[in-house]
Amino acid sequence: MAGALAAIVVSTAPVAGCAVSGEAEEGSAQPYRIGVVLSLTGTYAGLGGPEKRAIELEVKRINGAGGIGGRPIEVVFEDDGTDAAKAQAATVRLIDEEQVIAVIGASGTGQTMAMRTDLERAGIPQISMAGGSIITDRLSEWAFQTPWPNRIVIPFVLRMMAEDGHTKVGLISDTGGYGVDGRDYVLRSAAAAGVEIVADETFNPGDTDMTSQLTKIRSAEPDAMLLWAAGKEAATIVKNARQLNMSQQVYGGSGIARREFIEGSGEAAEGVMIGTGKILVAESYGEGTAEHEVAASFIERYTEAYGSAPDIFAGHAYDAFGLIVDALSRVEGDADGQTLREALEQTEGWIGVGGTFTYSATDHNGLTEDDLVLYVIEDGTWRLVD
Amino acid sequence: METAELLQYVLAGLKSGSIYALVALGFTVVYSSTGIINFAQGEFFMLGGMLSVFFHGAGMPLPLAGLAGVLATAGVAIAFERVALRPRRDAGPLVLVIITIGASMVIKALARHAFGPDELGLPEFTPGPSLSIAGAAVERQSLWLWGLTLVAVLSLTWLYRKTKLGRAMRACSISHDASRLMGIDTASVVMVSFGIAAALGALGGLAVTPLTQTAWDVGGTAGLKGFAAAILGGLGNPVASVVGGLALGLLESLSVAFISSTYKDAISLGVLLLVLFVRPQGLMGLVRREKV
Amino acid sequence: MTPESGSAEIRRGLALAAVLLVVATVLAVPLLGADRYLLKVLVFVGINTIIIAGLALLFGYAGQISLGHAAFVGIGAYTSAYVVEHLGAPWLVGVSCAVALASAGGLLLAIPSLRLRGHYLAMATLGFNEIMFVLFREARTITGGNDGFGGIPYPEIAGFSIDTPAGNYLLVWGVALAVVLLAWNIVRGRQGRAMRALHGTELGALASGIDVVGLKVRTFALSAGLAGLAGSLYAHCVGFISPTTFGLEQSVIYVAMVVIGGLGSLLGPVLASAALTLLPYADALIPGLGRDVVAVLQSWEADIYGITMILVVILAPSGIGGALARARLTVGVRGAR
Repeated sequence: MAGALAAIVVSTAPVAGCAVSGEAEEGSAQPYRIGVVLSLTGTYAGLGGPEKRAIELEVKRINGAGGIGGRPIEVVFEDDGTDAAKAQAATVRLIDEEQVIAVIGASGTGQTMAMRTDLERAGIPQISMAGGSIITDRLSEWAFQTPWPNRIVIPFVLRMMAEDGHTKVGLISDTGGYGVDGRDYVLRSAAAAGVEIVADETFNPGDTDMTSQLTKIRSAEPDAMLLWAAGKEAATIVKNARQLNMSQQVYGGSGIARREFIEGSGEAAEGVMIGTGKILVAESYGEGTAEHEVAASFIERYTEAYGSAPDIFAGHAYDAFGLIVDALSRVEGDADGQTLREALEQTEGWIGVGGTFTYSATDHNGLTEDDLVLYVIEDGTWRLVD
Repeated sequence: METAELLQYVLAGLKSGSIYALVALGFTVVYSSTGIINFAQGEFFMLGGMLSVFFHGAGMPLPLAGLAGVLATAGVAIAFERVALRPRRDAGPLVLVIITIGASMVIKALARHAFGPDELGLPEFTPGPSLSIAGAAVERQSLWLWGLTLVAVLSLTWLYRKTKLGRAMRACSISHDASRLMGIDTASVVMVSFGIAAALGALGGLAVTPLTQTAWDVGGTAGLKGFAAAILGGLGNPVASVVGGLALGLLESLSVAFISSTYKDAISLGVLLLVLFVRPQGLMGLVRREKV
Repeated sequence: MTPESGSAEIRRGLALAAVLLVVATVLAVPLLGADRYLLKVLVFVGINTIIIAGLALLFGYAGQISLGHAAFVGIGAYTSAYVVEHLGAPWLVGVSCAVALASAGGLLLAIPSLRLRGHYLAMATLGFNEIMFVLFREARTITGGNDGFGGIPYPEIAGFSIDTPAGNYLLVWGVALAVVLLAWNIVRGRQGRAMRALHGTELGALASGIDVVGLKVRTFALSAGLAGLAGSLYAHCVGFISPTTFGLEQSVIYVAMVVIGGLGSLLGPVLASAALTLLPYADALIPGLGRDVVAVLQSWEADIYGITMILVVILAPSGIGGALARARLTVGVRGAR
């Protein structure tokens, strides 16, 4: 009875041009289908754009070289509009309608967590491009992560601040997943880094004016300000701070390592210090190393295709996609969710632009503090601080 | 709390308050002449900013682009009134509410299609560093905002008191039927009221765009807060709308100062509900007898 | 429309047969080979049917406009999710709490709003929706805040977990059909006449001896409770909820569905809600429909809603329900407009 029912269901399933895994014929170029959920609109639109471009670039390159074991890769993009509910709905669609074998996503931490349950239930691995530690702190065997999580970046930035003599810090963070996660880690790691948090303000994604929060921070008289957000509000904050005649040194993490931040803030971005990965200034990889070669190649191809250098988010997408390709090439026979997941966990020493990845059953992040450096924004671009 | 800090909060409150005042004025003007609450008023605020950006991007110098934006918004409102509202003018409030809600959905969605989903900005009217008043910082654009609000209020008062049109509008607000019997072209009054209301909202949208940028979806919050301000002051009374707007802005700002920034919106909404439930005529309003 | 006595029996018999046919068809869909995705989409349709039935009673029949119904759905969803996931209670307890709390919310909003009418009532309900949205977003320990509440377990009855799309479909549509039947009974009876009298003129209703206050409050509470029920079903079938699902845009969409379906009709809004809910998922119904077409539909969804709503109100005020009545396709009760 159940078998007959299943047969009816499968045979009438809409086949919108996609292959159902398990029906692959031998020797056919049955494509691997990978889903991508990212933020092309909404407050994280500045992240989704570079991510999509990086993946499209790599898909073309790999398919041009014959795909993986002769099979091409098909990628389906979905926009989550920086909204957790939309990310979840997009995931359901990718699993049920597009029948993907893996999902890259999302750009944001909250959206990433929203996708988790459906992917776990369907047995499909997820590689996130978001930086919240919760993604791997709350370990799921199906969820992986390519950016340096807050767990690594925050102690690094706090240490840099303390070394510069900035020990009284005003914190401003957003209430989205990345900001909340970041704030938790800041409050947890501050004392150990020798830093005191004298002001702690938050804002909601979508807010357009943060002068009230900044006024409160100003009156606490900090030596420096720590800005933990990834959306476009960050530009408004530094501009508001200028307008309030605040002169404190501003520090931030990967969330503000974006060209939109510099463009949106104009003058106000000058002097802001950011702790993030090496891709912004390729020399930081170390001339002549294998890491430098990989990064330089990506930077060159991306710049040629799109007219501007890739940022860290393009890097996260490159890494996510590359890790899947690498894992798929190691799977024997027909890959499915489970075998792909196992292959991912066996990744060792894979050189990406975010760093060199080694996954394991307990480590689904794969990077360390050595993959981070400190930059300062000068003349509208990033310069390494030694 | 030091005076400089307190003053900073007061200034922030007056800044958002003037925006609420302009939107509230729009609600009041339409309500006085027609008895309708125009749910699309917030979208006129949005259009003011968006259309000005559009004209500025098309090459017009900033002052001209702003003027064009405001006038174009008024045009949209007048077109809306003629096409969508006039045919069902005599239907009950339920129907009119539905029409204005539908309009707000359409205007918002069309703005997104026409101008894209991202924020857009305008340069400040007079760029330069903030001024310092007794230790608090004031952006130059805020001065523009206050100036324009003042001009708008004075113009409206002059219109109501000294012009034939204003007298006609006041007559309509007392009784449509009597006005018609007196020979007043009530249809035109309604149309002009919508145009003026939209222009007021658009002015607010234009003046604030250099500070906070504008986007297709800013209309909803602006409309809600503007309405709360109009109700707080007392619907139907222009001065009350301005008072209500400034009061609401200050209330929000001081609640951030003394309570927390997260509940800022809940506080203005709570005020709205409180006024609606307890004293619908607002702080300055007279009790209106509801016709059943 | 007075049927002649002889054909009255036949009409009633036909009506009953029609209803049974509809029920049987709806419940048989999983067996007709619908795939997972389509079943999930139809679950949404069923959930919206429950909400719209309640809103049609409140707004379509009793004339009380509510721009805050999504908030009641949210109250039901979060309550049920919290009670089941964090407090470990069985799903039936979760649903009951959801309905209770949502109805209480309806009462809480209705009582101070009694004096308000038309615009003012609309604004009060709008304000209520916005406040609930802020609460959903800020009460992070209960609701998970902006990033939502995930990992909500499937509905479970007597130890059996309903964890397949087909099972969810049958559960949701079983409830939806029961709700529509309930609403139908209300509409046909004394309560329904009282509601229509209230919609027509409140003073007249009072003069006829109708307990206007009691009616308003009861209808609000019932309508809110139904929304809460739908919220619980949504939370457990989808597994994830977040504040944006219960925002103002959604409330306006519910109102649009009732308007387009026709005030004073029950079948009209139900059909309208089904059609409008399916619109952005057209590719689930029509296999092979290009993704571009779907993208366009989703992109123009709000425009379609707004324009249709305005056109209906201006040109065809009785909406789909009115059209059905004119075509003699509805049995018995006709609307007030």
